[in-house]
Amino acid sequence: MIALRGLTRHFEVGDQTVRALQDVSLEIPEGEYVAIMGPSGSGKSTLLHILGCLDRPTSGEYVLDGREVGSLPEGDLAEVRSHKIGFVFQFFHLVPRLTATANVELPMLLAGLPPVERRERAAQALLAVGLSDRASHRPNQLSGGQRQRVAIARATVMRPSILLADEPTGNLDRASGFEIIELIERMNLAGLTLIVVTHDQDIGQRARRIVRLVDGRIASDVRQEGAAGRGAAPPSPA
Amino acid sequence: MTLREYLAFGLQALRGHRLRSILTLLGMTIGIAAVVLLTALGEGARRYVTNEFMAMGSNLLIVLPGKTETTGSAPIIGGTTSDLTLADAEAIVRRSPRVRALAPLAVGAAKVSFGDRDREVTILGSTAELLPVRRLAVAAGRFLPPSDPERGAPVAVIGRTVQNELFGARNPLGQPVRIGDARFRVVGVMAAKGQQLGIDMDDVVIIPVASCMRLFNQRSLFRMIIEVTANSEIEAAKRDVLRILAERHDDVEDVTVLTQDSVLGAFNRIFTALTLALGGIAAISLTVAGIGIMNVMLVSVSERTSEVGLLKALGAKPRQILLAFLTEAGLLSAAGGLLGIFVGYLGVGALALRFPALPAQPPTWALLASIVVSLGAGLLFGVLPARRAARLDPVTALGSGH
Repeated sequence: MIALRGLTRHFEVGDQTVRALQDVSLEIPEGEYVAIMGPSGSGKSTLLHILGCLDRPTSGEYVLDGREVGSLPEGDLAEVRSHKIGFVFQFFHLVPRLTATANVELPMLLAGLPPVERRERAAQALLAVGLSDRASHRPNQLSGGQRQRVAIARATVMRPSILLADEPTGNLDRASGFEIIELIERMNLAGLTLIVVTHDQDIGQRARRIVRLVDGRIASDVRQEGAAGRGAAPPSPA
Repeated sequence: MTLREYLAFGLQALRGHRLRSILTLLGMTIGIAAVVLLTALGEGARRYVTNEFMAMGSNLLIVLPGKTETTGSAPIIGGTTSDLTLADAEAIVRRSPRVRALAPLAVGAAKVSFGDRDREVTILGSTAELLPVRRLAVAAGRFLPPSDPERGAPVAVIGRTVQNELFGARNPLGQPVRIGDARFRVVGVMAAKGQQLGIDMDDVVIIPVASCMRLFNQRSLFRMIIEVTANSEIEAAKRDVLRILAERHDDVEDVTVLTQDSVLGAFNRIFTALTLALGGIAAISLTVAGIGIMNVMLVSVSERTSEVGLLKALGAKPRQILLAFLTEAGLLSAAGGLLGIFVGYLGVGALALRFPALPAQPPTWALLASIVVSLGAGLLFGVLPARRAARLDPVTALGSGH
């Protein structure tokens, strides 16, 4: 359960203040499938970073599973990221010198899981994204779609409650893009909260709920019937 | 993460940039090898001199005519320096119970000839006491006979080189030789001794001290070599000698008494300073190597900024990022250090093959210091880049590089 209340995020650029987010309030129940859309500069990346505990709001509250995380120190935020949040990026962000398995093992390595458990869970995660036969390949030996699958395996291997995907199809051709979206939608159906940031209408339309940002404010928050995702509870009014 | 996991992660990162890692390693290797080799040279020189002194005999006092040490009072202008005579030597032996043996020494150079062969040789004049005091040994025949030092018998003991040059395969014992314009009979041949403090002990002829002084028309001894009964008595013996000689020389202290320890100590200080200086020069290359590591780590951090961002997104704490980069720097410098010690020892080995006389060996402190310094330099110079990495803002870091 995610609850944002009166969230703002300001950046000081020179002597100007950029208001990336202004008075954003949002509740996302567990298992929800949300697309965050909006033109570039609308604040959707900033929102994603705050949701992912990579960034902290200037003011307002961010309550994640009953705990106020908006003002936690860096070390505690790292802990939250480690256990509750999985990231999927537009540019995959795989470590080039590591094999697919080693890339998937990274979050478990950082969390201090023992080697045997790491290996088992990495194998499971790669199996779940259909890449068992590429386990010992390096990223440069994989196609774009395969790289994104490794990234998804890595994002989910710690069994987070929220998967944050930042333009996950932005660097892929349409066919692989849809395969990737379908893959993470299946994970959503299995109970994972899925938040996708995209400016691609076709991708966005698949979500159960679409939050549109304009100039750092929520312009609309629409729940769609018959969309691909499962969706959980009706959206609360913004 | 455990230490092993940090090491494995760092090793993978270093392997990712093989050439760069190897070049950085090389810098550290050369630095440490230089420390090992240069301090080994300095230490070798020190040991060489020490060994030479030890080979001379122990518990020695050396008495020189004339006062060379500077003291608080101004030198007496017009004061005459008395000669150091055989009578002085005899007085010292008689009056100081701390003197076990005294070998007077006169030195000259003369042509030594046998038959139609001749050779310019250093002539040492001394007594039978020279043999034990200087730890010399006779290979054939006998040494100078013990007798009244004032009596100059026409006998000579020759060195190994002199024997070879003048007599070849013939037995020199009992043969007459001409030294300058006097005749001597060869009574012994010295065992090969080699160079000792710059004098080739094989290329000398030893004759009774009185004969030598007469031959070269000398009134004063070159020096006296005194063996003291025990090491603890050296200072007291030195005072004895000074007192006895002052009494005999009209209450003027006009001789210099060197103790073996003081000479050795002076040499030790000189060579230790030399070793330190060489080590210091080598330390400069170590510092350069350390800065090389810092440079490479800075490049590595800025190159891997997006990786740092990723690691943070995956839940890495700042401390983990810091340790990961520090481990990398530590690995580089430790590997370079070990390799440097290995290469340094190879160099020392090569040196030992080329110059067997020089006991070159790096002092323990230099070894310890180079290990500590190489690891320390890696960590010290790794801290700045590692901290920079740890403090990167994850959002900015993730966004870089695309």
